[in-house]
Amino acid sequence: MDLAAHQRTLLALFRSSYEVRPDDDPYIRKVACSDDLKEARGNIFLWRVWVLERTAPLTFALLKGRNLVRRTVCAFIKGHNISPFRETHAPAFLEALSSHHESLIASVAQFELALLKVKQGDPGFHVVHWDIEPHAVLNNLARRLPFDAEVPKGSYEIHISRELPSLFRIVRVAQMH
Amino acid sequence: MLAQANTTIPVAIGTTYEGRDPKLLERMLPLVDYIEVTPETIAEVHDHKLALSHDVMTELKNIEKETQIVVHGVGLSIGSHEGWSSNYFQLLDALLEQIDVAWHSEHLGYTKVDGQHLGIMLALPKTDQVLDMVCERVIKIQERYPLPFLLENIVHVIPDFPGDYSEAGFLNALVNRTGCRLILDVYNLQCDEHNHGFDISGFLNEIELTKVRELHVACGVEHNGFLLDVHSKLTRSSTIRLAQNVVRRSEGSVELLVYEFMPEAVPGLGRNAIAQELRRLRLAFGD
Repeated sequence: MDLAAHQRTLLALFRSSYEVRPDDDPYIRKVACSDDLKEARGNIFLWRVWVLERTAPLTFALLKGRNLVRRTVCAFIKGHNISPFRETHAPAFLEALSSHHESLIASVAQFELALLKVKQGDPGFHVVHWDIEPHAVLNNLARRLPFDAEVPKGSYEIHISRELPSLFRIVRVAQMH
Repeated sequence: MLAQANTTIPVAIGTTYEGRDPKLLERMLPLVDYIEVTPETIAEVHDHKLALSHDVMTELKNIEKETQIVVHGVGLSIGSHEGWSSNYFQLLDALLEQIDVAWHSEHLGYTKVDGQHLGIMLALPKTDQVLDMVCERVIKIQERYPLPFLLENIVHVIPDFPGDYSEAGFLNALVNRTGCRLILDVYNLQCDEHNHGFDISGFLNEIELTKVRELHVACGVEHNGFLLDVHSKLTRSSTIRLAQNVVRRSEGSVELLVYEFMPEAVPGLGRNAIAQELRRLRLAFGD
């Protein structure tokens, strides 16, 4: 057997990027139409969900509250070569969501990513902009509580640094008129 | 603090610890002889590079006098056609420089293809070609690290490739050609039995149980009719009975039984239940 071809085809089957042909090896055809493959793909999704729920809890709670977990995690799996090193998942996931089209998701992801870096010893000073009042949002996400969709708008920054007593502070930015 | 499994053969008890939960560690330490550490799960990302967590390594250094440590990797990918993961060895090197380890181990499978991660671990085709490849790599590992090296049977998440060997025959050939020893994950055997009709009895009759040095027990959940290898539950009685059966037949080769659980399962299980599970295992393998 050609081990490289065998492994490449299985990888493609797991990524749903391979259409089985009639001349494929009978084993590959068997795997492709098996319930096992379908279940294993589901397991990969569940593994990611469990790890991200633990390692990116604020962003995950926000996505969960908006019923966006499945769609977002599936897109992340499809678009990234995710390492088996579990602690790499959260930074990659948060980096990906830091440019999310919804500003609140982007802000929470940027904040959580910066906090993660600082906790791991990053000496940098990070600034994340928010266009709503962050206290209630972060407090409720941390406590897994729903929050009012009509959070007061405003211009805020969260500063994140290991030099700050609680690693971050929320600052209201004065409007320039 | 060695336990016994209804025989005069002593079996030590161990469990998983992935750091960052000192309250859990405090509960577990008096109940175990070994702590199993996985380098990948105690690694952190610094400047886009993986490195062992300084905090977790400090925890491990602090318990070295109270317990023995074994290393159990998940990211080596010994069966990838293009070669294994060098990242894994960097972490293992760093870990071995800092703490004393009784032995180290990995899984007989692969997690990546051409550098692309599968997101899951797959079993290898049991062919002569693959046996040659894995044996060559095991020997290189044994030359690189002056420690016993063990390989573990993994769960089969897809149907098995029709190869040249049975499951037990492949493992027997591997240990006899390289001198490495085995971890037998008895919960994985139960998953394979449930999901694929695997013949555990026939496997145990064929495998050289005297080459098994460590057993793993765990439990997952049933989903869509499949029994999943997710390490999220307390061990089932049937798993313990199977482990006891292996110990009795191993002629004293099994030195350690490890209860595995993933950190994501701790909030659901609770620290008390994990401690109770370790007491239960000690009792089950006690006289």
